[in-house]
Amino acid sequence: MTFFTVVVRGLIRRPVRTGLTLLGISIGIGAVVTLVGMSWGYEKSIGKQLDVIGIDVVVSNMSGGLMPKVFDETLQDKVAALPKVADTTTVLMLMLSIEDAPMMMVSGREWGGFTWEKLEVLEGRLPKDDKEFAVVLGKLAAEVLKKKVGDTVQIEADELPVVGIVDGHAVVENGAVILSLSVLQEISSNQGKVNFVDVRVPEGTPEKEVMELCETVNGLFPEGRAKLASEVVGTSQGYRLARAMSWSTSLLAIIVGVLGVMNTMLMTVFERTHEIGILLAVGWKRRRILYMVLCESALLGFLGGVTGVGLGALGLKILEVTPAIRGLLEPDLSPKLLLTSVAIAVVVGVVSGLYPGWRSSRLSPSRALNL
Amino acid sequence: MNEASKGAGSVVYEAHGLKKNYDGGQVAALRGVDFDIREGEFVAIVGPSGCGKSTLLQMLGSLDKPSEGSLSYRGRLISALEDPSDYRSTEIGFVFQSFHLLPTFTVSENVQIPMFETGLSRGEREVRAHELLVSVGLSHRLKHFPSELSGGERQRVAIARSLANRPSVLLADEPTGNLDSENAAHVVELLLKLHQELGMTLVLVTHDLGIAALATRTIRMKDGRVVNESTPLTHAS
Repeated sequence: MTFFTVVVRGLIRRPVRTGLTLLGISIGIGAVVTLVGMSWGYEKSIGKQLDVIGIDVVVSNMSGGLMPKVFDETLQDKVAALPKVADTTTVLMLMLSIEDAPMMMVSGREWGGFTWEKLEVLEGRLPKDDKEFAVVLGKLAAEVLKKKVGDTVQIEADELPVVGIVDGHAVVENGAVILSLSVLQEISSNQGKVNFVDVRVPEGTPEKEVMELCETVNGLFPEGRAKLASEVVGTSQGYRLARAMSWSTSLLAIIVGVLGVMNTMLMTVFERTHEIGILLAVGWKRRRILYMVLCESALLGFLGGVTGVGLGALGLKILEVTPAIRGLLEPDLSPKLLLTSVAIAVVVGVVSGLYPGWRSSRLSPSRALNL
Repeated sequence: MNEASKGAGSVVYEAHGLKKNYDGGQVAALRGVDFDIREGEFVAIVGPSGCGKSTLLQMLGSLDKPSEGSLSYRGRLISALEDPSDYRSTEIGFVFQSFHLLPTFTVSENVQIPMFETGLSRGEREVRAHELLVSVGLSHRLKHFPSELSGGERQRVAIARSLANRPSVLLADEPTGNLDSENAAHVVELLLKLHQELGMTLVLVTHDLGIAALATRTIRMKDGRVVNESTPLTHAS
């Protein structure tokens, strides 16, 4: 028999209660995994999209919401004239409800710009020119909208034919409806407006010089910011809000978990007052009693955490294929998130066991034995 | 106090003016007790219910603290110890009337429980528990749970557990109180054997004057006080 045996026996003596507590922690940790996985997934998906397209610097005004505010497209010329700028292109990106899909990314891209380069045509073709009233669908968008080449897609009040299905090699690209910038400007009444200037710098440009370029652009565009592609999502106020909401909801789930484990451990300690008295009477140190209770609650947290990670992963997999999410982001199920979640669960367990453990270690053996 | 009865052994316990009050002083369980117990003695503490004998034994086992007075073990003041767990773990073994075994642990595991504080390895703990259970005649019950044992067997497990860390003093609180006469006789025989063969100091609380007669000394208590001490010789007279 090891000390671990003693700890496990403490938990399995009331299997139903232990099971219900585990379920409570699992649901809490499952919520953490799902919410944070979505939030991290959004950041990762946008990052991957920018990486695939080959964007080094993004100029936008991210102060509004998840999508940046529009601004005058003439800023592109000023940026393009700066030293250390190899290429620029403009994009108008809108989040719109398209037919049955509640929210889709609609990406209007400057005709001939480098954002078209990495689109691999799977079926049909790209628009002929910047005037053609037509769209291409990312392959996930085509699945979500159940469209094929030759069908039409309604955007705002206009019906546009689908002329091609493309693979953009990133979830956000594949989930988008893509069309020429001028067409999207017209149908969304944003003539002359864009919300992104994407910038490429010459290959091998040191990061310090890229940062200096950002500073220069910021001087030209005081209402917006030029950001390195790797930083663009993290600095968005909309994204920060979403991240804060996911963590605060997770925190609520964690607090519920703490209360659940603490209640279970307190009940356990009350029920086992007599046993704890015996352990003290045969010479167990008070700190060993405390350690035993903490180990029990930590084990409860760990098991709840592992189960919760499984539940959360399942939840993310389900969300990933729901029409509302599909193509917008790829949920993050990284080892970092999974380990963080289990670590949170163990901390929940330990914190919850502190008070019951302290109480049990302070018991008087003679009183405990007489109960 | 009869000096002859104590022999030449060194003093194990020495109590001066021990008092124990409950309910803010409204109930006095001990009202000033003085005694000493020497190495190798078998001391029986007798008296009517509520006279304070079990309270006194709990003081000796450091399960409770006196309200007043001092209690020393081998010259060390244990009544003031902040954490007496080392003393309870290594110096004494305690046998209770109601056995106090842990119901979710097997017989062998119950005996191993006190050994966690001694640094023995898992294998050493298992071997030691086996040896002890063989010595109390329960080698065939290692994997059983307490609920599967008779009262006599449970008390023998409790005695094996009390010996887990090789204590020099055994404290027994009515060890036969919950047993039939046959099992009680076996348990008394076992305790006497430990006292005689291992030279353990044995302090036993009992109602049974027949068991008390086997002791080298008897302390009689009434109303929280020691009223009389006697040896077998004085019993006879």
